[in-house]
Amino acid sequence: MDWGRVKFFLGEVLRNFTRNASMQATAIGTVAITIVLLGLFLFVRAALAGMGAHLLDQIEISAYLKADAAPAQVLAIRHFLTADPRIASVTFVPKKQGLAELRDRTKGVIDTALLTENPLPDKFRVKVHIPEEVPAVAAGIRRLDGIENVVYGQTIVARLLQLGVVLRRVGIGVIVVFLAVAGIIISNTIRLTVFARRREISIMQLVGATNLYIRIPFICEGLLDGLIGALLAVGILAIARATLWPRLLEALPWVQLNTSAISPAMLVAELFAVGGAVGIVASWISVGRHLRT
Amino acid sequence: MISLRNVSLIYPNGVHALDNVNLEIAKGEFVFLVGHSGTGKSSLLRLLYREARPTAGEIILDGIRVDRLRRQRVPALRRHLGVVFQDYKLLVDKTVWENVAFAMQVTGAHTRDVMRQVPRVLDLVGLSHKSRMYPGELSGGEQQRSAIARALVNNPKILLCDEPTGNLDPSNTSEIMELLLRINLKGTTVVVATHNQAVVDRMRRRVVRLENGRIVTDEERGYYYLGLGQGQILSG
Repeated sequence: MDWGRVKFFLGEVLRNFTRNASMQATAIGTVAITIVLLGLFLFVRAALAGMGAHLLDQIEISAYLKADAAPAQVLAIRHFLTADPRIASVTFVPKKQGLAELRDRTKGVIDTALLTENPLPDKFRVKVHIPEEVPAVAAGIRRLDGIENVVYGQTIVARLLQLGVVLRRVGIGVIVVFLAVAGIIISNTIRLTVFARRREISIMQLVGATNLYIRIPFICEGLLDGLIGALLAVGILAIARATLWPRLLEALPWVQLNTSAISPAMLVAELFAVGGAVGIVASWISVGRHLRT
Repeated sequence: MISLRNVSLIYPNGVHALDNVNLEIAKGEFVFLVGHSGTGKSSLLRLLYREARPTAGEIILDGIRVDRLRRQRVPALRRHLGVVFQDYKLLVDKTVWENVAFAMQVTGAHTRDVMRQVPRVLDLVGLSHKSRMYPGELSGGEQQRSAIARALVNNPKILLCDEPTGNLDPSNTSEIMELLLRINLKGTTVVVATHNQAVVDRMRRRVVRLENGRIVTDEERGYYYLGLGQGQILSG
């Protein structure tokens, strides 16, 4: 290992980095802001997705039996349901129990004591493994003999599934825009430092430095911009998580924010990777443009 | 060592910088390129270190077809060439030592070789005692000597100088010329573009004269003006 060479090289990178300190600060600051927004967005998206998933998990299909369904028919339906691999659980709810549950749920609103007879049919309560399959399973059950009606909160399921698709699409769009912005900022900064050092670059070219050798310090500079920006952003996000998050939960008690799906380490790693990658790509492009001419 | 055959150079703005130039320079020669500003001296040098490519013709340097050299091979070519300019082109925020070492370091040289070679060339140009100073703290002559040290540090076979004494007073000028002569005596081919008449007339070396992009005369042991020394012009 040639330590003199390593020292020279690191010295060059550091010197270039500190020489345009104000410019670097601008780039780092903007990158940090971009990444904070990106982090917030990823977080909100994950929280919303988690919320949607939580709601979807609670979705169950109620399959109401015809009042005149024969016991053999009911048994056949049960067999059919338990045999379906998409179905997680099947519970038979006799109409007596159904009424009891209704009474519990509507306590103080409807006086069920006024009912002279039980108007509810018997039903099967069906839970499905994958929320997206609820509509198909429900349609299958509806076709069975002895089934009067199938109810599963059709509108809500459709909305939630749609929300998932929208979140994914908007998410990709927003992330692309954020990355493009960060990339343009870093690339502009590097272009300015390239311009400030064009004399040095021309001298390097004169004495026979390869383009790669000229390029590497700038790439390191872009990488540093990206990583320091990401570090700042992660710091800001961590502070926000510690101070604002509990208050948010307090302020919105009815929101079922499920953030357990977000791994903080993963998020941090992603933000750093994004910052670093954007820095490298942006500086590579802006130096390359200069070296060609 | 250097060979130009039917070389023409037309810049994109339409200026004919060189027009059908033929020139052979042997290994170990010392050659002056003279002529007024804008006659193509710098353009000719730029072709040699591949800062420009000829519009037509062949350029051969030490067996390499420079005019056909691929872009990726240019750095390798330049390591075999030393180039010195009127404005020195030193990095102002590096010391003399660092400026000279820089030329080796950017080519990926081993530190061991840098530590051996830099003192050697600094000693050759007589700047060992000022190696820790910055260009701004040096005289013009010393800055040019630093630049020459940098040009020599990679042991080039050819040293190209574009108006090396253009910014120097007469005493610094003769110092630099003596240094170039010494370098030439060690076997390096030296090409100096200049319009300094006194230097050319004193040295009495091969003189190639350019006018409007053409070589008009090529004399062994020539003067700046065709066949005439400075004294003769003044007296006659």
